[in-house]
Amino acid sequence: MPPTVGIPRGLLYYYYGDVWSGFIRRLGAEPAVSPETTRPVIEAGGSVDEVCLPVKAFFGHALSLADKVDLLFLPRVVSVAAGHYSCPKIIGLPDIVRAALPGGPPLIAPTVDLRQGRRSLCRAIISAGQALGRSPLYSLYAWQRAWQEYRKPAAAAGKPAGLSRIVLVGHPYILNDRHICMDIGGKLAAMGMEVVTPDKADPRAAAQAAAALPKNIFWNYCRQLAGAALTFLAASPPPDGMIFLTSFACGPDSLVGEQLRRFAGRRGVPFLLVALDEHTAEAGLVTRLEAFTDMIRRRRP
Amino acid sequence: MNVTFPHMGTLHIVLKAMLTTLGVRAVPPPPISKTTIEIGARFSPETACLPFKTTLGNFIQALEAGADTILTCGGAGPCRLGYYATVQRDILRDLGYKFAMIVIEPDLASVWQSIRRLAPGGIRPLWPAFRLAGAKLRALDAIERAACRARPRAAASGDVDAERLRALAAVDEAATPAAAAEAVASSLRRLEGLPAGSGPPPLKVGLVGEIYVMLESGVNGDLVRTLGRMGAEVHPTMLLGDYVDTHILRDKAALRRSEAVAAAAAPFIGHYVGGHGMKSVGHTAAMGRTGFDGIIHVFPFTCMPEVIAKNILPVVSVQEGIPVLSLAFDEQTGEAGTVTRLEAFVDLLRYRRKRQETAAAAQKQLN
Repeated sequence: MPPTVGIPRGLLYYYYGDVWSGFIRRLGAEPAVSPETTRPVIEAGGSVDEVCLPVKAFFGHALSLADKVDLLFLPRVVSVAAGHYSCPKIIGLPDIVRAALPGGPPLIAPTVDLRQGRRSLCRAIISAGQALGRSPLYSLYAWQRAWQEYRKPAAAAGKPAGLSRIVLVGHPYILNDRHICMDIGGKLAAMGMEVVTPDKADPRAAAQAAAALPKNIFWNYCRQLAGAALTFLAASPPPDGMIFLTSFACGPDSLVGEQLRRFAGRRGVPFLLVALDEHTAEAGLVTRLEAFTDMIRRRRP
Repeated sequence: MNVTFPHMGTLHIVLKAMLTTLGVRAVPPPPISKTTIEIGARFSPETACLPFKTTLGNFIQALEAGADTILTCGGAGPCRLGYYATVQRDILRDLGYKFAMIVIEPDLASVWQSIRRLAPGGIRPLWPAFRLAGAKLRALDAIERAACRARPRAAASGDVDAERLRALAAVDEAATPAAAAEAVASSLRRLEGLPAGSGPPPLKVGLVGEIYVMLESGVNGDLVRTLGRMGAEVHPTMLLGDYVDTHILRDKAALRRSEAVAAAAAPFIGHYVGGHGMKSVGHTAAMGRTGFDGIIHVFPFTCMPEVIAKNILPVVSVQEGIPVLSLAFDEQTGEAGTVTRLEAFVDLLRYRRKRQETAAAAQKQLN
């Protein structure tokens, strides 16, 4: 029986999950991704204190896997580019899980810190492979194949369809977790809006826009969001509205969101900030979205 | 040029000495009050952390009082502090203030550029400015440590506070490093001479966490003084000098000390998480082994590095056998609530110590 390696469906899973699954399978183990977020998952994750909703959800996923898997795959992603960091909670994630889940399965938690160069990634791959009894070369090859196989090319921007265009900005682990974001994208579409998300921005243009800011946004994932938002705002005509979906107590978003509000204001684009936590009620959210979309419709000439 | 800067404990005395010697006028913001926090919170993003809001309040009050230049720090992450200046500058500009902002980023070129802007009369006074500021920094730390030691032992802890304020004023006025040192020496003598109280021997309490909340009595409910009054000798793990030695001067002894703290943290936290999160864990573990009665962990609400520490400290507490109280502060924090929680914690520590003493006495009799 190959060992089962659990991958909690949360946070960086939404960036690298497919590659991770492929990598683990190629190492000869069985990846087990937890099912989609539900209310009980978030309630169970609530035993972690004062963190944002996605981290609570993540811990809930880790808990749900704990007695079903032999190992938990939880890489410590410190940085994925020179001069940038992940958010501190992502950096400290393995420690939080270890402290809050005593007696849980052992973690595969190699450190990835690309501020120091690509060698850190190789070391992380090798140490993950070692945990499953694989040689360094075998592991590196497995990663290479998994990366090529599952790395999706960025989708091109959709064509404007005459509908009001709303840019929905938020981290993938919020926007793509339908329970956490309460399917806000679907709700907006049902209200007759064309929704664009950061992954639809041209990555190169987004990187350039972020680099042109007066101060480097040193949180890598926030920098991507800000860059994407800026490219959408610079388009002509500008979008009809921008919604920034964040989670309460998200540190980087609290400051970057303030800057996005300003960028949108300078382009005359209406801006709505929605902060989610486990107490957010769906009805309240719908009311706010309705008010916002009504306002946008009225602004149209 | 009227230069202002954010408050943090007694830092304004140090910065004032430095700026004045360089030949610019220093305009420290008014001391942090309820109004400062209110003004700051009103114009800040809702979930920004407390130091962001309070320092923004400082800037607004100082600009209203005639400052035209703001001196503050930058940073390279992952803690939010590194991005403060960028957002605060935009907020203040949108409010209509006219000012220049000097942001000291952690690289030599930026530091040099900032110094050139702050020393319009040339860099000749640079060395005396650093020397005077350094002497005052050491003096202030010595006073703080002596006051922490004296408070739980004195018959009237108010005498200690009065003496501390007198000493701070004397250091502020000192025109030379020697005068600053002399002010401290005489103040320490007077503290030694205060009549002793008759209470039980003081509890030893370690103070760990985020530096701003630890040092700024205007936002932490005057926690150090309150604990002292309750009969606890507080050991702050981070005074101004500790920070300067480790992060700016890279002093060898200080670096060795912080390596030891990192080693104590290693079994619980495997990587630097920004700010002081790792130090909070390390100090707690180390103090648990060196006879401390308890640990108070303070941080701004939603502080990312310290939230990680907070989730790990319960494990450290159990493994090292030391009680830990974590306190988060924001603009809603009331002083009475903080005092009640500190009282309960101090009671617990007293009870625990008594139980340990009884157990030790019983063991002795058995032998």
